[in-house]
Amino acid sequence: MNGRLTPKRFALISMIFALILAAALFAGCTQSTTSTTPATTAATAAPATPDTTYVATTAATAAQTTVAKTATPVPTYTSSETNIVSFTAASLSGVSPALGAGFNSAYPPHKVAFNLDGTQALKTQVENGAYSDVFISASNSYTNTLKSEGYFVNDSVKTLCTNYVIVILPASNPANIQSLSDLAKPNVKIAMAANTVPVGTATAAVINNLANSTYSQAWKNATMANVVTYETSEPAVATKVSLGEVDAGFVYQSTSTAAAAGTYKSITIAQKDNYLQTYTIGILQESKNKAIATDFENYMLSSAGQQILKQYGFTPAA
Amino acid sequence: MLEAQIIKKLRDYSLDLSLTVRPGEILVLMGINGSGKSTTLNIIAGLTEPDLAVISLNGECICHSQAGTYVPAEERRIGYVLQNSAVFPHMTVRDNVAFGLRARGGIPRQEIAKQAARWMEQMHIADLAEVRAGNLSGGQKQRVALARALAIGPRLLMMDEPFTALDTESTQTVKDLTRRFVKAMQIPCIVVTHRLTDSTEIGDRACVLCNGKKEWEGVPSEMPGFCSVCHCRD
Amino acid sequence: MIAIAKRFRQDKTRRKLAYLAAGILIAAVTLYLALPILAIFLRITPEQFFTTIQNPQVISALWISLFTTCITLVVVIAVGTPFAYFHSRYSYPGKVIVDTFIDLPLVLPPAVAGVALLMLYGRVGLLGQYFNMLGIQIAFTTLAVIMAQIFVASPFYLRQAKSLFEQIDPAYEQTARTLGASPLRTLVSVTLPMTASGLVSGAVMTFGRALGEFGATIMFAGNLPGVTQTMPLAVYVGMESNLFLGLTISILLVIISFAIMLAVRLIQKREDPHA
Repeated sequence: MNGRLTPKRFALISMIFALILAAALFAGCTQSTTSTTPATTAATAAPATPDTTYVATTAATAAQTTVAKTATPVPTYTSSETNIVSFTAASLSGVSPALGAGFNSAYPPHKVAFNLDGTQALKTQVENGAYSDVFISASNSYTNTLKSEGYFVNDSVKTLCTNYVIVILPASNPANIQSLSDLAKPNVKIAMAANTVPVGTATAAVINNLANSTYSQAWKNATMANVVTYETSEPAVATKVSLGEVDAGFVYQSTSTAAAAGTYKSITIAQKDNYLQTYTIGILQESKNKAIATDFENYMLSSAGQQILKQYGFTPAA
Repeated sequence: MLEAQIIKKLRDYSLDLSLTVRPGEILVLMGINGSGKSTTLNIIAGLTEPDLAVISLNGECICHSQAGTYVPAEERRIGYVLQNSAVFPHMTVRDNVAFGLRARGGIPRQEIAKQAARWMEQMHIADLAEVRAGNLSGGQKQRVALARALAIGPRLLMMDEPFTALDTESTQTVKDLTRRFVKAMQIPCIVVTHRLTDSTEIGDRACVLCNGKKEWEGVPSEMPGFCSVCHCRD
Repeated sequence: MIAIAKRFRQDKTRRKLAYLAAGILIAAVTLYLALPILAIFLRITPEQFFTTIQNPQVISALWISLFTTCITLVVVIAVGTPFAYFHSRYSYPGKVIVDTFIDLPLVLPPAVAGVALLMLYGRVGLLGQYFNMLGIQIAFTTLAVIMAQIFVASPFYLRQAKSLFEQIDPAYEQTARTLGASPLRTLVSVTLPMTASGLVSGAVMTFGRALGEFGATIMFAGNLPGVTQTMPLAVYVGMESNLFLGLTISILLVIISFAIMLAVRLIQKREDPHA
C-alpha cells in the first residue's frame, strides 16, 4: 500500500496542485506591476530585456561595458506608500543611480525604482496595462501620443532635459574615421538604433539634415548601406561601439560625455544639422502615489537634479 | 566442429574452460546465473575479447591470442540466437530473415528472396512474412530469430536461454526445429539453459559451469543432482 | 450491512472527487498554455493579417528565419548524430566534461551565449581577430544567426540522441554484427530506424528553439532587416511601432510551429500506429 497512487492520494495531490495554481494566478492578477514582454513564439525564447525587475541595466548590455560610470543594480521595489516606480528612457541608465540616490537623500525615506528600456518598449507596456507612477520619455512624439491617449496627468508633463546626437567611435578607431564624410567609406560598419527608438528617429533626421546641408544624397545612401545593425535601445548601440565590433555608432551626447575618459572618440554634429531630443517627465494617471511622484518630479526639475543630469552630459531643461 | 579454449578474468572469478563440439552435436551449457555461460558464447561469437583464447571452427582458426589472430564478429559466420530473440522490430519477418544474406553482399536479389522464403517455410512462419517483427508473439519471434541465424549458412549455432520466455508449446516447436536443422546441416550447436528438462530433451551432451570452470561434463541423463564444487544445484 | 453500504458510498465519492480534481488540473494547464496564444489571434482581424503579411519586412523576416533554422537543423543532425553515436558507444578521458558542455547552453541565458560568441568570433574576438585579418567577417552576418541558433539549440538534439543510443538494447546491434553487418550497415539499418522516432522529436525541439532564438541573435548577429532580422527580432521591434506587424509575425510563428509539430506527429503515427 505504501507508495501506490490510490485514487484518494491522487485526489489529494490534484487538489493541492489546483490550489497552488489558483493562488499563483490570483497573485498574478493582483500584481500591481505587470510588465508585458511582447509575444514571441510558441517555442522558448528568452528576450534579452528585463521584464519585471527594476534594475539599472538595459536590454542588450549584458556585458559590463564602460558606457556609464556605474551600472550597479538598484534594489528592486514594488510601488508602495514610500516607493515609486519610474519608467525611464534607457539613455538615462548611466545617470539613474545618482538620481535615485539624490532623490532618496532629498526626500527620505522615499525611494524610486527605475525601469529602464527603450521608450518605445515602455510606451507599449504602459498601453498594455503596466503600472508606473512616473514616465520619462526620450521622445516628444511618444509623450504626445500617451497624453492624447489619456495616460498622463497632462499638467504634470514637463521638459526634463535635452540631448543632441553624436557619433562615437571605438577608442582605437579601427576604420580611421576622421570626419562625418568618412562614414560613407566602403567597409565601414555603423550601428544605430532602430527607427522605433527615439534616438533612432533622431539619427535618421540628423543624417537627412547632413545630406541636405553639407554632404550629398550619395553620402547618405552610402552611410545607410554601412549600417550593420539596428539596435533596440540607445545603450545597446554604445555597447557595440565600446566592444569594437562596429566602427561608429550614433548615440546621445550624454553617453559620450558620461563615459570614462578614453572609452570613445567622438565626432560632434553641428547644432544646425542636429536633432534636439527633448526628454519629458510626467506623472501617470494610474499612479497610486501621486504625492511622492510629484516630489520626484520636482526633484528632477530642481537644480540638484538638473545638476546631476548635466554631469552626465544632458543639457538642462531651462 | 568447434574447438575452443578460453581464459578470461571476470569480476568474481576467472573463466577457464575448453569446449569441443562435433558437427551435428548439441552441447547444452548449464550453470547458475553468473557462472560465465553467456560470456563464453560472446567470446566465441567475437563480441567480447578474451584474455587468452584459441578458437577454431572447422579447422579454421578464428581466434589465437598468441599468434595474434582475431577474426571480427562480422566474419565468423556464427548463428547466434539470444534470449529475447532480438528480432529487428521495425523490419518485416522477411527482411529480418534476409538481413544476414543482404549484409554479406554479392548475392543476387532473387537468390536472397528464394532463400528467405525457403527458411520462412521451414520455420512455419511463411504466413507472417509481411508482418512487422515487433508485433509477433515470443514463440514466433524466436522462430524468426532461428530462421535468420540459419539463413546465413552458419558453421556453428549458439542459443542463449532461447526457451526461457516461451510457453510450453512454442518451446517444443523451437526445440524440434533446432534439432532437425542442426542434424540436417551437420553443424555444431551450443545451447545455454538453466533448466534440467531442456538439457535432457535437446542435448546430446551437457556441460556444467561453476564459477567459470567446467565442473561436470557428460550425457544429460547422467547429470548429478548437485554441484560438487559449490552445491549450487541443490 | 449498513457499514458496508457506507463504505461503498465513501469510495464512490472519493472517486468522483478524484475525477473532478483531475479535470480541473487538466483544464487549468491547458488553458494556461492555450489562452495567451488564442489572445494573439483575437487581437487582429483576418483582413489586417492578410494585409500586413505582404509587408516586405514580414516577408524578409520569414525568409531569414526559415532559411537559417533549416540550415541549423541540417548541421545539427548531420554532425550531431555521429557525434552522439560515438559519444554513447565509447568511453574516453574527459567524457564527463564533454557531457557537461553539451548541457551548458540549456542553462545559459541566451544573451550570455550571444556575448560569448561575440567575444570569440567578433571582430576583436579571440579567434575573430584572425578571421578579420583574412577579411572574413562573422558577426552581423546571416552566418552569425545560424551560429547563434546552433549554439543554443543543439543541446536539445544531442542530449536526446545520446540518450537514445545509450538506451537501445545492445543485443540488436550485436545480433546484426553476428549476421555479418558492418558497423555502418548496423547503424543505418538497425540503430537509426529504431531510434528514429526519438531523434525526430529531438529535431523538432531543436527547430523550435532555433526558430525562437532572440537574445544570442541580437547580441552576436545584430538586427538588420534582410540580413539578420529573424522573426522574433522583427516581433520585438515591430511591437513597438506597429502592433499589427508584431501580431502578424507572432501568428506566423505560431502557425509554423504548430504545423511542424502536427506534421511530425502524423508521420510518426503512420509509421508506428501502436506508438
